[in-house]
Amino acid sequence: MAGEGTERRRAELLGRIESSVGAEARVASDGTAWISVPKEDVESCLAVAKREGFDHCSAISVTDWPEEGAFEVTYHLWSYRGKVLLTVTTRIDREEATVASAIPLWGPSAGIHERELHELFGVTFTGNPDLAPLFLEGWDGPPPFRKDFDWRAYVRDTFYKEDDPRERSYWD
Amino acid sequence: MSEVTGTETMREGHRAADGFDLYFGPVHPGSGNFGVKLRVDGERIVGARADPGYLHRGFEKLMEYRTPMQNAVLSDRLCILESLNWNLVHAEAVDRLRGTDVPERARYIRVILAELSRIQSHIIWYGVLSKALGFDTGFKVAFGYRDYVLDVFEFVTGGRVYPAGYLCPGGVRRDLPEGAKKRIEDLLAKMETMLREFEAYDSKTIAARCRGIGVLTLDDALRLGATGPVLRASGLAVDVRRDAPYEVYDELDFEIPTRQEGDAFARSIVRQREIEQSIRIVRQALDRLPPGPLPPVRPKVAAKIPEGEVYVRNEIARGEAAVYMRSVGENRPYRCKIRGPDLLHMIPVLEHLLVGAEVADIPAIYWSLNICPADMDR
Repeated sequence: MAGEGTERRRAELLGRIESSVGAEARVASDGTAWISVPKEDVESCLAVAKREGFDHCSAISVTDWPEEGAFEVTYHLWSYRGKVLLTVTTRIDREEATVASAIPLWGPSAGIHERELHELFGVTFTGNPDLAPLFLEGWDGPPPFRKDFDWRAYVRDTFYKEDDPRERSYWD
Repeated sequence: MSEVTGTETMREGHRAADGFDLYFGPVHPGSGNFGVKLRVDGERIVGARADPGYLHRGFEKLMEYRTPMQNAVLSDRLCILESLNWNLVHAEAVDRLRGTDVPERARYIRVILAELSRIQSHIIWYGVLSKALGFDTGFKVAFGYRDYVLDVFEFVTGGRVYPAGYLCPGGVRRDLPEGAKKRIEDLLAKMETMLREFEAYDSKTIAARCRGIGVLTLDDALRLGATGPVLRASGLAVDVRRDAPYEVYDELDFEIPTRQEGDAFARSIVRQREIEQSIRIVRQALDRLPPGPLPPVRPKVAAKIPEGEVYVRNEIARGEAAVYMRSVGENRPYRCKIRGPDLLHMIPVLEHLLVGAEVADIPAIYWSLNICPADMDR
């Protein structure tokens, strides 16, 4: 998929990031690069990536791993100059779900993703001044995108009546 | 204009002593299922706060409960205005996780339909921008031409607006029907006539209302996360189709239109030039289309997605679309994050452009971004 020039550029770029972060990157078969760092190193890793030309914060995402008691935060970064996609991954404690905001590096383009994740997963991005509710209005339940939130049960218990013969089947 | 964005100037529940609050949407005819709370001082907007959520359906969570073929149908609804493009992003994510070798003919068909979908989406944009500017002729001309594209979609996929996951994991649901090539060629000729009509309107109506309005500098565009035509109209020649080619884009010859001005008119010109380039791409793809027949893709409900994670980006009509898919080896994805261009365009970019603008310019700014509440809220 990628030409030789792209591969060389990517290898150089990743080499510089690996040496300053002290973690090893993996290049997938589709040419995308992945690097995992502990929570305390994520800020510096992202700062190095930004300095190396990853100007575009394409998305920030959270994956919930309730059995392991962890959230995985992934930063998907694109370098317009290097034409490389890098995903920085870190694991944070599910009970104390906080991680530093990426606003100092990517500004509002990172801030809006964080605001969404705060609402849907309950992760707090420290330093983000605007984590107000985004999509949900008047929501007082748990963050709905967490794996342990059963929306089918929530809808049934909130909007249906068990003693109504027409709605009875939702409990069967 | 100061550096602060609307979000920073207007907090929830805040009321200014001077000026008053004005709501643009969610029931304004020109706003879509989305609103912006504005604070205005006379005719000037001094604060803007986007009010999303009217189309939030929780797609990312819904997809965790469904198999890839069901999700392919669901992916139509990610953006009503360009459902085939979203089909493709989703299908590619599953293909890459599975390591599927998609037949070459299917990859060409995917590109042809994705480009026709881009043309169709840009036509809708032209129509609603015209309508928003009070130029009803443009609206009617555009929507008239859009129907020709929908006729082809119906002929090929069975659906005019929703293709029901026609571009699906593994390729396409079925081969092109007989006579499709001729119909698509005829359609492209109609699209060229349409572009000439659009050009005739540009110098008067569109230019008069859009020139110098909603200027987005390149620095701001990058800081606020703009992508696609919005970013290209601010002077950066980037396009996922060229920078990280997917499907067969690396075999096709096309240009990336850009403008330097960054205003609503520049965004309008960029999109019209993109229709030209899409026509060029579809013609090349039709010429190179490998011979059929192509066996239809049959859904296998129990088929597992191998463990792994991918982040797939595509260039859709509105900008950069991406899917982050994580699988733990079940027949459903464990996590499916959807990144649409409009979360950025409709919140940080729009808020930034509205602050300091005149009330009368809201529709021009708003529609010059070609926004779609569906892919913002998901």
